[in-house]
Amino acid sequence: MNSDSVVQFDRVWKQFTIGETHDSIASLLASSVARIFHPNKKVQSKRKTFWALQDASFAIPRGEALGIIGPNGSGKSTALKILAGILRPNRGHVRVVGRLAALIEVGAGFHGDLTGKENIFLNGAILGMSRAEIRKKLDEIIAFAGIERFIDMPVKRYSSGMYARLGFSIAAHVDPDVLLVDEVLSVGDAVFRLRCIERMKELIEQGVTLVFVTHNLDQMQSICKNAIVLDGGQAVFSGSARDAVGEYLQAMSRSYTNHTTDVSQQKTLENAPVKLLGLHFLNERGEKLVWCRADQPVRVRLRLECSARIDQAVVELNMRANLSNNLVSINSGRSCIPIQLERGTQTVILHIASLPVCGGQYFWNARVWNQNTGATELDTSFRYPLVIDDAGQATGLLCIDHRWLNQKPNDSQTVEGLEVRHLVDDLEHREEVHAS
Amino acid sequence: MSELSLTTASGDLLRYRQLLLSLTWRDIRIRYKQSALGIGWAILLPLSMMLIFTFVFTRAIDASKVMDVAMPYALYAYLGLVPWTFFSQALGSAVNSLVANRNLVTKVYFPREVFPLACIGSSFVDFCVATSVLVVLIGYYHVRGIYAFTPHATLLFLPIVMLVQVTMMIGIGLILSMANLFYRDVRQLFTVTIQLLMFVSGVVVPLPQDGSLLARVVGLNPIVPVIGAYRDCVIHGRLPEVGGFVYACVFAAFVLLFGWICFRKAAYRFAECI
Repeated sequence: MNSDSVVQFDRVWKQFTIGETHDSIASLLASSVARIFHPNKKVQSKRKTFWALQDASFAIPRGEALGIIGPNGSGKSTALKILAGILRPNRGHVRVVGRLAALIEVGAGFHGDLTGKENIFLNGAILGMSRAEIRKKLDEIIAFAGIERFIDMPVKRYSSGMYARLGFSIAAHVDPDVLLVDEVLSVGDAVFRLRCIERMKELIEQGVTLVFVTHNLDQMQSICKNAIVLDGGQAVFSGSARDAVGEYLQAMSRSYTNHTTDVSQQKTLENAPVKLLGLHFLNERGEKLVWCRADQPVRVRLRLECSARIDQAVVELNMRANLSNNLVSINSGRSCIPIQLERGTQTVILHIASLPVCGGQYFWNARVWNQNTGATELDTSFRYPLVIDDAGQATGLLCIDHRWLNQKPNDSQTVEGLEVRHLVDDLEHREEVHAS
Repeated sequence: MSELSLTTASGDLLRYRQLLLSLTWRDIRIRYKQSALGIGWAILLPLSMMLIFTFVFTRAIDASKVMDVAMPYALYAYLGLVPWTFFSQALGSAVNSLVANRNLVTKVYFPREVFPLACIGSSFVDFCVATSVLVVLIGYYHVRGIYAFTPHATLLFLPIVMLVQVTMMIGIGLILSMANLFYRDVRQLFTVTIQLLMFVSGVVVPLPQDGSLLARVVGLNPIVPVIGAYRDCVIHGRLPEVGGFVYACVFAAFVLLFGWICFRKAAYRFAECI
């Protein structure tokens, strides 16, 4: 292990107990009686345990940012809490050099009855700032959060966005040597999120070592140079942020392989005439997929069971990112393709030429309705995941098909480049005409 | 294990003294926020208790024959009630302090001792406020000629009495808050116990001195010499009786040490067991 590292996480194991960790008087008595009569026999514990972290290791040199990604329950937050000193590992060593500030939950120490300003002082102290330090940065903190007008109002009357902005703003001004951030940037509007990312980059430039736990792969890539992937409590990958994202997407698809098309996941309508037996993603050769490339064709195969014949059915497929708003909704009605569903089992296939979206996990659902009566015959929840890998081509929402052209001055060799320049000239010319 | 040593612990606490002050200030602030009387309650609570007990023991039933308190009963009661309110109120909030701050215990790291300590700190402020009424009360009796008061040099001994009381309270507070985190029964038990304890600590009723078994058992209560010491120093102008007071000192030191070591040993499990 590198001795220059500011943060060392060395072969850490952490075990948790599932269920109640406390004994009632009754079970306490029973176990102590058992111990008296059978002093040598080990009383079997009814408690179940699991390992949240298994032999996980990483190290971060000063002034670097490390992203930690992984599916839910992979041990990300546990790792952060161990770093912060909130939890103690069962095995292994953790070392953090310098002042540490952990932003595990925004505004964790806020008290609703205190005003914004009072909470800044309280929360600042919780995060390890001195009163003088807070007083010096007070205006900056308030300005960053953008809540100047409400600073003397009890935070219980704040909107959740204001609450979160204030919480992050305080933590962003702690000036720690090591900053731990856990999935807190999902709050606030887009502008504030952008400001948070800028602030984190600023801190890294100032030499702060950052550990960033997130599900947002774009944010992670824009802040961190390196990342590790946790899966089942183990660090399955450690390397550059981009490679880590690829590894993560594959790990995700593996973990979803087993229950991609579980029929029980569908939201059943009462006495629905149409049942979804399965929703599968296939490649061109008809093989089932759990992840695909953004630039390659995909087929979505629906296996439906109908209890009655529907003459004019509309089949719709929707795709969402992170269970938020719909990204795209495709239905056969818009395409004016009449679909006739017969009694019995049948298959409907949607062919998609490419899915030009940024890498990540997307969730699908299926709906069927009767065009004549307007009655909904099938409506599943968004429980069909597909992992799409865009090879790190873009961040954001869309991965548009693109290429870069670089034209040197006085170089008329690149035909396409010329076209671009002509177009620009043309536009400028037209604007001049308008102006005159 | 180095994490367990109390010297590291005190170093930790010293670094976080700012936080301790902030949390103390928060507790005071919250207790009297949205309340018309505000900090006035710090005076009103022991004062109303004093009036109730004075009414019960001097008007409702005449207990002056059995209770020889050698001073006006109201003064006797108030001198007992002020340190007692400090004791019971501080521990009453300390017992729940870790559980009430679950959010902080599971989300932020700092020495967990600050929670019960802040409870004791904020109650100490109330204690000081309530003491001011004592001055008024003594002045009243003096002016009316009911009870002549002469300030004694023993008043200077009061800080030591307070120190012993606070030490004892920190130890008990650490144990109670930790125990309540693992078993919520502790809070309920505490509520009952503190009621009983009030009547066997010489707060409003003098303790039996007849050498009976009951008197000997009650005499083991380490709070008795502390409460008595306040009256000795303020009114009687004498130092507390050595045997009893040393016993209280030893108990306080022991309970602090024992409580703190236990607390430190269990602290790493707080976040998962809360």
